[in-house]
Amino acid sequence: MPPPVRRKLLVLVLGLGAALAVAASAYAENGGFTPATPHSPNAERIDQAYLWIGYFALAILVVVETALVWFVFKYRRRGRPRTVEGPQIHGATKLELIWTAVPILILAAVATFIFYKLPGIEDVPKASAQGGPLTIRVDAHQFYWQFTYPNGAVSIDELRAPVNRVVKIDIHSEDVDHSWWIPELHGKFDAIPGRVNHTWFKADQVGTYRGKCGEYCGVFHAQMTARAHIVSAGDYEAWISSEARAQLGRTEWQGVCAKCHGPSGEGGYGPAIANNSLLVSAEGLRTLLIEGQNRTKPLAAYMPPVGRGWTDAQFDALFEYLKQNVYKGAASGG
Amino acid sequence: MAARAQAVAPYRPDWRQGRVMSWITTVDHKRIGILYMVTSLVFFAGAGILALLMRAQLATPNEHFITENAYNELFTIHGTAMIFLFIVPFWAGMANFLVPLMIGARDMAFPRLNAFSYWCFLFGGLVLFLSFFASGGASKSGWYGYPPLSEKFFSPGNGQDLWILSLHLVAISSLVGAINFLATIQNMRAPGMSWMRIPLFVWAIEIYSALLLIVLPVIGVGLTFLLLDRQVGTHFFLPDQGGNAVLYQHLFWFFGHPEVYVIILPAMGVISEVLPVFSRKPIFGYKAIAFSTVAIGFYSMLVWAHHMFSVGLPTFLNVFFMLSSMVIAVPTGVKIFNWLATTWRGNLIFDTAMLWALGFIAVFTMGGLSGIFLAAFPVDWQVTDTYYVVAHMHYVLFGGAVFGTFAGIFYWWPKFFGRLLDERLGKVQFWLVFLGFNLTFFPQHMLGLLGMPRRNYTYSEHGLWLAYNLASTIGSAVMTLGMLVFVVNVVRTARAGRRAPNDPWLADTLEWYTSSPPPPHNFDQLPYISSARPLRDLRRRLEESRA
Repeated sequence: MPPPVRRKLLVLVLGLGAALAVAASAYAENGGFTPATPHSPNAERIDQAYLWIGYFALAILVVVETALVWFVFKYRRRGRPRTVEGPQIHGATKLELIWTAVPILILAAVATFIFYKLPGIEDVPKASAQGGPLTIRVDAHQFYWQFTYPNGAVSIDELRAPVNRVVKIDIHSEDVDHSWWIPELHGKFDAIPGRVNHTWFKADQVGTYRGKCGEYCGVFHAQMTARAHIVSAGDYEAWISSEARAQLGRTEWQGVCAKCHGPSGEGGYGPAIANNSLLVSAEGLRTLLIEGQNRTKPLAAYMPPVGRGWTDAQFDALFEYLKQNVYKGAASGG
Repeated sequence: MAARAQAVAPYRPDWRQGRVMSWITTVDHKRIGILYMVTSLVFFAGAGILALLMRAQLATPNEHFITENAYNELFTIHGTAMIFLFIVPFWAGMANFLVPLMIGARDMAFPRLNAFSYWCFLFGGLVLFLSFFASGGASKSGWYGYPPLSEKFFSPGNGQDLWILSLHLVAISSLVGAINFLATIQNMRAPGMSWMRIPLFVWAIEIYSALLLIVLPVIGVGLTFLLLDRQVGTHFFLPDQGGNAVLYQHLFWFFGHPEVYVIILPAMGVISEVLPVFSRKPIFGYKAIAFSTVAIGFYSMLVWAHHMFSVGLPTFLNVFFMLSSMVIAVPTGVKIFNWLATTWRGNLIFDTAMLWALGFIAVFTMGGLSGIFLAAFPVDWQVTDTYYVVAHMHYVLFGGAVFGTFAGIFYWWPKFFGRLLDERLGKVQFWLVFLGFNLTFFPQHMLGLLGMPRRNYTYSEHGLWLAYNLASTIGSAVMTLGMLVFVVNVVRTARAGRRAPNDPWLADTLEWYTSSPPPPHNFDQLPYISSARPLRDLRRRLEESRA
């Protein structure tokens, strides 16, 4: 390609890139050029580490690409015959040493910064003021999140936590690998059966932060979303002591069952169940929810063991809700 | 040498001389090389079509172009096919054709084993693509097939078993091929061709083979355990029965990360061949590039758990794997700086092969730098398993390996087939793919930072999510256009391409000494090799004798 065309294309690419960058940053505060705006000290420090690496990476990128474009422009053929050779330089030890040493120094700078920030990211702060950190257990299931609070209250897909308090998260899985992630609060930590992982956050602002499952976990991986509602300490106490129990049956239905069987059990990815009498047979349903279903004959059927690890209170809340709101009676002739 | 060339050709019965049978029964490294390359390019097209379907599904939010299950099959088979059926066997094919010619050998060390290698690969590939028709469809557990998701209970049906069978076949093929390359390069170099005089592409294949030999048995173990879990009822990876799900991740990535360098080192080898020829200069820092290849090969086996930073490994392990992953950036940087220095003060000729090589440097640098963010494990916790990784990985594997592939294809096509690919169409293809590639994958960095996880068949966010996804889908269409131009180019060249002389580019290495395409026995006679650039030495001697 003749050089002027290459230059024009370069200008075009740079122009498009710049336009995209401007439009993007006008649209959102970071436009996807840095991680989500942090709302917890550990996420904040990860953000700082990202920016620190970003400065070096950008500088190296600019140096290399500029050198490349400059050499391409400066040493282009200009009609010289192919037989014309450049100077026969086979190498330079001093240069090799320089471009080995400088990257090592840059990487040392990056690693040092990470070591400096690491304790503030990993270690759960000692929160003596409020009687230690609040511990919430997260159980990942195909395809929902279950949160268990210190008083035994349970919520599905929606986490509630008080603002300005250290919250420690214990991450469990009951079936396959998942990954717990609320970008504004902390990074990803996998939920792996047979292991318990931990992370923490201390949200600095009341609000709702959204998260998605970070490790591919099967057909409805994309639907495995979580919302972290950060509320005032008073609202949190009120919620776990009374509202949580009242909402449990409904949220179980919506988070655990309805994703596959449809909002009112009319069927979706999974079969229609509104007329299935198993819904009102407590024992049968309990077995199905704990063991799941996996057969290829006579029909292929796979249902995850969604009720693994549930408490009696959880089953009772679901049965109650199914009986009152979902079950439409056995289908005639069925 | 002359005496050996007069040896009687081996007896070949009539039934083996037909147009089809001669290819099926061939043990000639050049024909096997072409079979390998053509087959892997067909798989490349297949896996590329799967990617286009995914991009179509993701173009706008809440799209219902394909079902969630179909989408999950698509990304599983796309990833598996691109890695195992396209790029690794493509290098096996290119190396098959070139390594014996570059080192002045008559054939590979074990010609029949070589044919076995190819047929194993072909059938492994067919098993993978035909697994779409298995009961329950193809595997849906990702190209890495983590248990417990890939276990029988969570993945019923036969797709996962066929996936394992396919990988076993392809792994045997690669393993046998690697032994063959090592034996050939160690033992069959022309007189005078010392280790510091072999082409850098051959250095890359030496390390490629050594890595495959070391790491393939490890994935073989992991896959066999998984197969036993699924079919025999063992529980290696089932935690509720005393197994360990993370063990598989270690086995997989101890193979999986060196595999990345198995993919990229030969591409770097191609770049190290193409750049000096089209810069009219020797490669800058031959030894530095050769030794950095060895260093990358070595360190690549010490970085695997950087794929597992979010698993919850002890901090000291995370620190170790962060540091080792950063160390590997140093020899990679050495290569890039040496390549830049090679073009410095050259007489740069922008033939298509050179454009691909320069494009490689431009985009691979980007991919290498985004890797540093992933090596720093706290940052990795934010970006891992998001589209940021998809962007990074395609900058390295597409921008690296595929650009290298096309640099090699345009450079060596005349040697393969005796005709030159059309330069004009080649340049059109390069610019379409270069622009399409960046448009496809650059916005994915931003998507990842916005919080879009990988392997999601849809999303409901609008705004920037939609803008970046749409740009990415448009980019993939532009790239496809470029690939179609290549198909047109191949067809036109086959029909009416310009005949190639022995050495159309005034190159440096031994494969250009013989005719294009080479005769079955490769060389009538060989010059004594007195440097890493035997062809240039010959040209100079010829000029001196004329003067």
